[in-house]
Amino acid sequence: MDELIYKLKQQIIEALNLEDMKPEDIDDNASLFGEGLGLDSIDALELIVMMEKNYGIKLQDPAQGKEIFKSVAVMADFIAKNRTK
Amino acid sequence: MTSPILITGRGVVSAIGRNKAETLDALLNNRSGVGPLVYLKTEHKEFPVGEVKMSNEEMRKHLNINDKDITTRTALMGMMALDEALKDARLTTDMLPEVGFISGTTVGGMDMSEQYYLDYISNDNHKEYIKVHDCGSCSEMTAEHFGKFAFMTTLSTACSSAANAIILGANMLRRGEAEIVVVGGSECITKFHLNGFNSLMILDTKPCRPFDATRAGLNLGEGAAYLVLETEESAKRRGVKAQAILSGYGNACDAFHQTASSPDGEGAYRAMKEALELADIQPSEIGYINAHGTGTPNNDLSESHAVMRLFGDNVPPMSSTKPFTGHTTSASGSIEAVFCILALQHGFLPANLNWSQPMDDGIVPVHQSVKKELKHVLCNAFGFGGNDSSLLISRAKVPATVEGPTQHNGTSTSSATVYILSAKQISVQQPLCEDWMMQPIEYQAYFNRSIDPSFKEYISPIEARRMGKILKRALATSKEALKASGLNSVDAIITGTGYGCIENTEIFLDALSKEGEQMLSPTYFMQSTHNTISSLVAIQLKNHGYNVTYAHKGISFDSALQDAWLQMQLGKIHSALVGGHDEMTETFYNILKKGGVMGQDKEMCGEAAVSVVLGTEKHDSLCKLVNFKMLHKPSAETLKVIAKDFQADYILTGISGNHKSDEAYLTECKELFGSSILLKYKHLFGESFTSSGIGLYVAAQCLKAGNIPAHLFVNKDEIKGKKPSKILIFNHTDGNNYSLTLLEA
Repeated sequence: MDELIYKLKQQIIEALNLEDMKPEDIDDNASLFGEGLGLDSIDALELIVMMEKNYGIKLQDPAQGKEIFKSVAVMADFIAKNRTK
Repeated sequence: MTSPILITGRGVVSAIGRNKAETLDALLNNRSGVGPLVYLKTEHKEFPVGEVKMSNEEMRKHLNINDKDITTRTALMGMMALDEALKDARLTTDMLPEVGFISGTTVGGMDMSEQYYLDYISNDNHKEYIKVHDCGSCSEMTAEHFGKFAFMTTLSTACSSAANAIILGANMLRRGEAEIVVVGGSECITKFHLNGFNSLMILDTKPCRPFDATRAGLNLGEGAAYLVLETEESAKRRGVKAQAILSGYGNACDAFHQTASSPDGEGAYRAMKEALELADIQPSEIGYINAHGTGTPNNDLSESHAVMRLFGDNVPPMSSTKPFTGHTTSASGSIEAVFCILALQHGFLPANLNWSQPMDDGIVPVHQSVKKELKHVLCNAFGFGGNDSSLLISRAKVPATVEGPTQHNGTSTSSATVYILSAKQISVQQPLCEDWMMQPIEYQAYFNRSIDPSFKEYISPIEARRMGKILKRALATSKEALKASGLNSVDAIITGTGYGCIENTEIFLDALSKEGEQMLSPTYFMQSTHNTISSLVAIQLKNHGYNVTYAHKGISFDSALQDAWLQMQLGKIHSALVGGHDEMTETFYNILKKGGVMGQDKEMCGEAAVSVVLGTEKHDSLCKLVNFKMLHKPSAETLKVIAKDFQADYILTGISGNHKSDEAYLTECKELFGSSILLKYKHLFGESFTSSGIGLYVAAQCLKAGNIPAHLFVNKDEIKGKKPSKILIFNHTDGNNYSLTLLEA
């Protein structure tokens, strides 16, 4: 799981163009949206594309993202259970 | 004297009909045109769409267009609608040189660019289509099918483009710039748009259900519509009747988010309120609202809130006609204005099809077509970036007045003094300063990209990470210009851009062409629309004022300046931030060079970001803007007459290193302005679509400094220490479009 979390952080940084950040800067359990990293609805859509590209997971409803993108840890858990590649 | 704006003609093409008669029949009989994809070649067959039920070939045949002539689907639909509108208003080819044409579009010729992009970047096949990629070409093709119009420009504010074209046309009539203008918009469905909206996850796989509890997105549509706006005197003289009256209109910016509407619908609320105020009509007099109502959860909630704020407990009957046509994006403002005119003329409320369950905290739409006498209706059109507009259309019999004097002498004699308060640039010269006056950078290469300053001061890293260069430059120059102007805020933000956010458009187009129609990035799509620039500036400055974007080749900046000038003369605004922004990538430069659009001969090409603050109060200004005029293919005689009002001691020409056009420029200037001394600036700043904005900046800075640097003189033997008092910026650009901007110290 730790390996997936680290990899995921790298992928988030790349997908969202968070130029000045390193995986170490993102707390596993901190919220990605709102108070935490301060991401918005377009970032959520980019994360959906990123999950499809890297893990073969296709979300139909952007509202699902709200739960899944709570934190990197929650996201990693969801990916581990649902990945097709 | 007050005078109403008459609508004396209209033409419409959409999924529910190829003309007014078919359209009316479909509206009265609740017949939707939304269905499975037929004409667009895409793998996304899962999305229902509102296609115009004709292939390009059928449209060509219908319009008698030669097989070899270059067209695009957007232009073809535009021609069909324009044909009907001109006939309806009894306007013939010989009358068009007195008539203006203002069109709205966002995709322009993208239907061809997305088919041929891989050729454009690797070989010469289909290179004849390169020159019709942009929005302005689309308007020109549409108009030129019928003849030569007096002036022309193109609005590009995403889904409110056509509504804003109508607003500009109305302001031009009120200012006496013309007696007749044809206004509206056209937009076809493209893979680019379909995939873009899909990347934002706002397309419904079922027929759209605006204002319904189960609504899950929009269906994309296409079409075109044009209205003929005319002064009362002209209509009387020609013996044509008004079919309806444009009594009011409003434009405001939501200034909230690039793709989402604010929860309280601030922009929509302000636009509707302004339309009512201009028409001097009470909310209780509105008999119907044609909602923007796209069917996305966000739009319909936000629009409901805006309407409920304005109308309280007495919300008029309201419906979205998008279940009939799909969302016709840039054209929706004029298509739905035609629906409103039909509703006024035939006394009915169009149905909000597919509605069954009320949404939480929203309006309940009219869900069946109902007979009802109507006097006044509102027509809403909102665009990405919160470019919100509302039109108030009244039945022809109702005497309606529009505030403010209407002048009827084709010349724009100024009634407000306009000052250039500040001007800032980022270009191939040192950014955000005037170092080029003393120490210009000279380039050997024919294409150079701008020198960027550090953007940290202007944009936080979290905001900057998604912005292309054009957006960062627009924000930096806007913020610096505003700071230098001495104003805290402006009444309007008006932007011109010939090709818009080319960098991100290219990334999206490249991915679409090479990787296919899956997993595309919403960020790049969102930033491919031209109005991203102007709306982003509004979001950052928290400015809810008038906000539009012009995209018409080399007169994009000039069109923006004209709008600000016009509204200051009308007393509608007292200050404006006018921007001219174009970026250019290596790839697109090479494409455009291949297509003959730029970079011909020894032309110097660059990028331009310029922001200018104009105001009607002096402050510590750079200079005065004393006269302004735009012309489209004027006769030599007309040009001579106009030039008399624009005599100056110095003429700043746009010679750019392209020998053929430079020679024509110089000959023309000598004929028109005799002994005036000729200056140049593009050898330092390069050619770009909005370089006329740089021209304005250069001239204003010279007037402020009271000195013209030696390296700006065309003829070195004319260099004198003479302090400039008047400089004319003379812009003669492709498509034979002209702008004349006269500045005075």
